[in-house]
Amino acid sequence: MNPQTEQVDAVSPAERTGRGGLPFVSGVRTIFLLEMRQRLRARSWYIMLAIWFVVIGLVFGLAVLTTATVGVDNGGVLFDLVVGFVLFFGLLVAPGLSANAVNGDRVAGTLAVLQVTLLTPSQILAGKWLAAWTASLGFLAAATPFTLWALALGGVDPLAAVVSILMLAVELGVVCAVGIGVSALASRPLFSIVTTYMLVAMLGIGTLIAFGLSMPLVQEDDVEVVYSYSTDGQQYGPRQPSAEAETPLPATDCQSETYRQTVYHTERSAWLLAANPFVVVADAVPYAPVPPSVRDGSAVYRQPGVMEFLSIGVREAQAGPDLEYTCEESYLGARELQDGQIPIWPLGLGLQLLLAGALLVAGRARLATPAHRIPRGTRIA
Amino acid sequence: MSSEAGITAAGVVRSFGSVRAIRAIDFEAPPGEVTALIGPNGSGKTTLMLILASLLAPDAGTVRICGVDPLVDPLAVRRMVGWMPDTLGVWDSLTAREILQTLAACYGLAPPERERRAEELLRLVRLEDLAGQPARVLSRGQQQRLSLARALIHDPQVLLLDEPASGLDPGSRVELRSLLRTLAGLGKTIVVSSHVLVELDAIADRAVFVKRGKSVQTQRLVDAGTQRRTYRICAEPIEPLLEALSRHGFGFTSSAQTRTNEVDVVLDGTAHAAWLLRTLVEADVVVSAFAPAGGALEETYMTLEVGAE
Ligand SMILES: Nc1ncnc2c1ncn2[C@@H]1O[C@H](COP(=O)(O)OP(=O)(O)OP(=O)(O)O)[C@@H](O)[C@H]1O
Ligand SMILES: [Mg+2]
Repeated sequence: MNPQTEQVDAVSPAERTGRGGLPFVSGVRTIFLLEMRQRLRARSWYIMLAIWFVVIGLVFGLAVLTTATVGVDNGGVLFDLVVGFVLFFGLLVAPGLSANAVNGDRVAGTLAVLQVTLLTPSQILAGKWLAAWTASLGFLAAATPFTLWALALGGVDPLAAVVSILMLAVELGVVCAVGIGVSALASRPLFSIVTTYMLVAMLGIGTLIAFGLSMPLVQEDDVEVVYSYSTDGQQYGPRQPSAEAETPLPATDCQSETYRQTVYHTERSAWLLAANPFVVVADAVPYAPVPPSVRDGSAVYRQPGVMEFLSIGVREAQAGPDLEYTCEESYLGARELQDGQIPIWPLGLGLQLLLAGALLVAGRARLATPAHRIPRGTRIA
Repeated sequence: MSSEAGITAAGVVRSFGSVRAIRAIDFEAPPGEVTALIGPNGSGKTTLMLILASLLAPDAGTVRICGVDPLVDPLAVRRMVGWMPDTLGVWDSLTAREILQTLAACYGLAPPERERRAEELLRLVRLEDLAGQPARVLSRGQQQRLSLARALIHDPQVLLLDEPASGLDPGSRVELRSLLRTLAGLGKTIVVSSHVLVELDAIADRAVFVKRGKSVQTQRLVDAGTQRRTYRICAEPIEPLLEALSRHGFGFTSSAQTRTNEVDVVLDGTAHAAWLLRTLVEADVVVSAFAPAGGALEETYMTLEVGAE
């Protein structure tokens, strides 16, 4: 060792005692780069990417074959399928990428080394979250060949495509934030990973179960429902486009009957579905409306993809029971939902952000030093 | 910077649940000196270091690092303090150089400064040849040296080193010693904990002894001259020595640690020892060795160990 070099003093004593830490962004960037370096050097990430690529490829290949044999040659269906699968696998991968980021460091003894520097807990969490998000966006990027393929087949509305990808990225970010928050709170990496999976399952499946279980609560018996049906046996009714013209339909073609039956007021329980990641993505995407020409039978019926189907389902649920099944609905095979319907995804995303935010705030308190209370069985160093 | 440089801690208490890690510690470390923190396993040394490093809040008591309270302004404390933990935590896949540069960034050094400082410290701890290797492959002692470099990265005023010498080879220990003496010479405040008391004898100016979470004694090593200490005397043959000691009224003991031609004698400081040696030589006793039986710190440590039991 050569103690003389120690003499060099870069920071003057006055600066050294100055108040305040690092600019927020530069601290976050330091942590982000530190995390990314480690992630990019670990082989596991590449292996996971490869597996992911193969799995999505298989699913996509199967879907191409099936749609080809069924005769639906529509890029929209395939694209929708890729979006659904990327979201599904993303929800599986993102907790693994994020939920050991903080307590893994704590176990390795490197967290205290960061805590003793000028970095604040917020900077540490933000940097780690950004890195986990970036790593999970890598998976989104790895699915690009398939999304491009589906887009190349045509039939996808560009705006819908862009919003789909954006919402996927947002959902991955939310799950990563949940994972980071849990990992700051829990002492053991295994525990935090399992907990994050549970929370994601709660959003993905728990919301569906809750919606299903709430059915008896929104049930109403003995309600008058009017059904109309066409008597000329035609599936696609009016000869002239009727939606804009609002022309009353020829009464002779249509008859109505009244029944009394049980209905479910799902408009009261639909919000339970809001926080479901699939619902958030599907509901946010502005799917192209069914072209008016379909109604007079001149255009090809457009098959909705999985996500669009989900979107329609949620909107149906939001609209509640159809107490008057009109003649026009009978022609179209479905009722037209009011344009003024409030989208449900902002509520869902809001709930998700609330969850992630609460976890992050609690996690930040766990990282705050000088620490007053530390959980049983853990050491700072 | 305030006029009160160095560290003062008074009446520090800290417990973890039912474990009372620190019951009452008073601790002072003046600038320009190396202060040793000595105590048995589990006596609260690491806990005290964590409190001084602003990572842990004391339950009671006051702590001032260069006049700043870590509870009030932890960031100011962190700018001044370099902390070397007793556990080796390294980012496995990063190289030694990257680790140092990252830490420099965490202390707000500008990019060119980071690189310069990292190279400088790599040279200082002799890791230049391994600078490009992932930290994972470094040996324990090399990781320990990297950890020391990490603590020095922002050129802190105060150094808290928790067992810095563990795992170091003899050559590195000598280097560590001269490094710490140099840093103390620059006016920095240095706190070192270690279980190798002979080592601390050579480095430390003063020592604080803690036991079961209490500070039990503070000793200045320059005071060691007037300390009552055990001397080990070796003579060939031993009989004239025993006779001379009896004649002057000295009690002597031989123990399992002494060889057949050695005895232990308790003396009141260096002047007393010099007088006895002269007397023995003048009495034609063939003295072949005459020295303190152990280090000054070891002596104190053993008396405390026995005394409080
Ligand atoms: N986070 C914690 N939770 C519970 N007990 C703790 C915690 N940290 C320390 N202790 C206890 O406090 C006491 C002091 O621990 P500390 O690590 O400070 O000892 P030490 O003097 O550094 O020991 P060593 O010489 O072995 O390094 C021990 O009894 C230890 O078990
Ligand atoms: Mg210790």
